[in-house]
Amino acid sequence: MNTIEERLWSYIDGSCTDEERKAIDLLIIQDVDWKSKYEELMSFDLELSKMELDEPSMAFTYNVMEGIRNEYAQQPLKAGINKNIIRVISWFFVVTIVLMLVLILSTVHVTPARITVHLPDSLKLPNIKNLLSSGVMQGFLCLDLVLAMFLTDAYLRRKRQQKEALRP
Amino acid sequence: MQSKLSDIELIDQTLGGNQAAYADLVKQHQRFVFTLAMRFAKNREDAEEIAQDCFIKAYRSLASFQKQSKFSTWLYSIVYTTAMTFLRKKRVDTESIDDENTYIQLESQSSGMKNNMAENRSRSYYLNQAIDQLLPDDATIITLFYMGEQSLEEIARTLGIEPNTVKVKLFRARQRLKEKLEKNLKNEVKELI
Repeated sequence: MNTIEERLWSYIDGSCTDEERKAIDLLIIQDVDWKSKYEELMSFDLELSKMELDEPSMAFTYNVMEGIRNEYAQQPLKAGINKNIIRVISWFFVVTIVLMLVLILSTVHVTPARITVHLPDSLKLPNIKNLLSSGVMQGFLCLDLVLAMFLTDAYLRRKRQQKEALRP
Repeated sequence: MQSKLSDIELIDQTLGGNQAAYADLVKQHQRFVFTLAMRFAKNREDAEEIAQDCFIKAYRSLASFQKQSKFSTWLYSIVYTTAMTFLRKKRVDTESIDDENTYIQLESQSSGMKNNMAENRSRSYYLNQAIDQLLPDDATIITLFYMGEQSLEEIARTLGIEPNTVKVKLFRARQRLKEKLEKNLKNEVKELI
């Protein structure tokens, strides 16, 4: 069962039902205790709603904007690059690779014995056998490994920062 | 004469690259955000740090603001989570937040200076002093309801709880506030309220 005070606060806050409001209206008129309690709570409510807000320092807005500017100035260059440019470049490569695959596959003749590829005469591929010496291959794989580690590290750092920023 | 732009208009301008619009948005909300931060930090330096951090966080995620609720409700939820994180960082864990003993020091300070001060100080001063002695959750609900002009539903959204829970918490917070006032001011409380 709600106390007088609890019911009166609901009435003052306007969070009670219409029926409850009408019942409390009557009680305030008819009952002296209800009336005095209602007046006390109303006066308290009025004082609370008249409270003043605290004022931050004069430089508050400036400090916030400076904080934002600093944060964006510290961003790495890659974050400032237009993503559309990156998309166009990636699409160029994707389309080129697809076209080359289509071209190559259209010239493949499959026979049970062997597969022969007839490339157009105008297309001359470099002789890559000379380039693929063991030293070059090892260097290439090593670079790949370093790059993969670097990208994984950057990805994990970014994820951790996002998690920290969202943590309540 | 140029009319004051609404929060949504300022947000749209900010998202369009106009940083001055965000500065206006900060000016419109800084007093309340700072007051709310004061409820947790209890000193101006820390409150300013929390409030500034909130506005920077809000700027960072402004594009994710859905515009379905009021900007202030969204901003106050950022203030609440930032302030709670701040309290945790200050090694005041959630158990001690619920512990009235944390505020014994504040209470004893205030009870020592209660004599004959009612004449000299404003009513707002005494109310703020009593609110400062409340638990952060109680102080936040009272501040959001009376100073932030937030409805019970909006407060529920800000704090991530049910509106009915807010109603009960608000009732208890007001009761505790009255008790603090009575303790601080004894007989003079009747004149105050």
